[in-house]
Amino acid sequence: MAPTLYMMPPSPPVRAVLITAKSIGLDLELKQLNLRRGDHKTPEYLKLNPQHTVPTLVDDDGFVLWDSHAIMVYLLSKYAKDDSLYPQDLRKRAVIDQRMHFDSGVAFAVFLRILYPLIYGEKKTITSEDTKAAEEVYSFLEAFLEGRQWLTGDFVTIADYSLIATTSSLNVLVKIDPVKYPKLTAWVKNVEKLPAYEANKPGLEKFIGYVKSILG
Amino acid sequence: MAPVLYVTHLTPPVRAVLMTAKTIDLDLELKKLNVEKREHKNSEFLKLNPQHTVPTLVDNDFVLWDSHAIMAYLVSKYAKDDSLYPNDLKQRAIVNQRMHFENGVAFPELLKILYPIIHDGKKTITQEDEIAADEVYSFLEAFLDGKQWITGDSVTIADYSLITTITALNVLVKIDHVVFPNLNTWMKKLEQLPVYEANRKGLDSYTTHVKLLLR
Ligand SMILES: N[C@@H](CCC(=O)N[C@@H](CS)C(=O)NCC(=O)O)C(=O)O
Ligand SMILES: N[C@@H](CCC(=O)N[C@@H](CS)C(=O)NCC(=O)O)C(=O)O
Repeated sequence: MAPTLYMMPPSPPVRAVLITAKSIGLDLELKQLNLRRGDHKTPEYLKLNPQHTVPTLVDDDGFVLWDSHAIMVYLLSKYAKDDSLYPQDLRKRAVIDQRMHFDSGVAFAVFLRILYPLIYGEKKTITSEDTKAAEEVYSFLEAFLEGRQWLTGDFVTIADYSLIATTSSLNVLVKIDPVKYPKLTAWVKNVEKLPAYEANKPGLEKFIGYVKSILG
Repeated sequence: MAPVLYVTHLTPPVRAVLMTAKTIDLDLELKKLNVEKREHKNSEFLKLNPQHTVPTLVDNDFVLWDSHAIMAYLVSKYAKDDSLYPNDLKQRAIVNQRMHFENGVAFPELLKILYPIIHDGKKTITQEDEIAADEVYSFLEAFLDGKQWITGDSVTIADYSLITTITALNVLVKIDHVVFPNLNTWMKKLEQLPVYEANRKGLDSYTTHVKLLLR
């Protein structure tokens, strides 16, 4: 039986898990939640995940896990044929961990901070403060990519998946300037060429449509 | 040669690394950066860590930042066993989830309440601050349901990561023992661990500082 993923297509952390599953050829049974309807705050869902976030994974043996980063690591360690996306090598792994914590603590946090007031109708435009915050994320990524093709070195890892899901979404809110961020721009292009990137597209399209409906 | 840890003040993520090092008996050479002089943004430090955060670790020729990544690395490399960061897939997965909760939810909430107090002269804790802190506490209360420690039956780096942040948040918005009994018990138990000393010093000076600002 395939593991179950509770999800919502436009969500960046959900898409990061979908990219990961696709790249190791793992089938997931997808269960869509409607967050606006409050599906994530029902007693049943809260029993699975009291933090009421998507994605949440329920493995075939009933093991429940949330947080996209933890899920990606778990799925790879259990289902992948080799360790290339999350190497055993201590140093390589540590840098991937650092990048993923950059995602949850900085990039994704900035993304939500810009998005939430738009969703809740508290504002209708991207402010200069928003732009500044997004640009800071881009400049960190630009620095991380110094001398590297992928975010942590010469190979694609789940740090790339995690951050492409977030960055491609942040880019919808505040465009990445290719002149200011040439390495970041090249990295985005490279990731877009990966077959697994297909898994980011449908949700990203939905997200783009959604943002357009708010910003016009 | 002992690994070098760059710190500014003894902030929660720094203290989490210190607790980890103390547990596994690892000596770290602390190098203090002066934030007032913006030493964490000078070109030398930016070359090490372009994200200019502390803690930053330098272990021989290997540079690493983010407390969670550092703790996992130090345990994997220097600890005698894997108890602080279990090799077991599922146990490790829960530790990772809790650490991303610290990083993505608890720590940002702490900073959101603290920054205006430190930088804008804010003197009171608002009702909004209380609601935000209580939400963090209620998540933890749920995580601790049926568990001794934050991920299960033994102490892990997720406990260290969260205790340093929660004790700092507790100075701003007190944990209500009646509403959050699991959380209260968990804190008491951590405080009794010998390694908790590594949290106390930084926490005490932070507490004094915050109380002065709020007066
Ligand atoms: N760090 C988490 C973030 C998950 C998250 O915040 N997901 C959002 C959707 S993008 C969510 O579920 N929000 C609903 C809520 O928090 O109640 C991860 O990587 O999985
Ligand atoms: N997720 C990071 C957070 C580190 C962090 O934000 N540290 C703060 C001090 S508590 C810092 O270095 N701020 C200085 C800056 O960002 O320029 C970790 O766990 O190490």
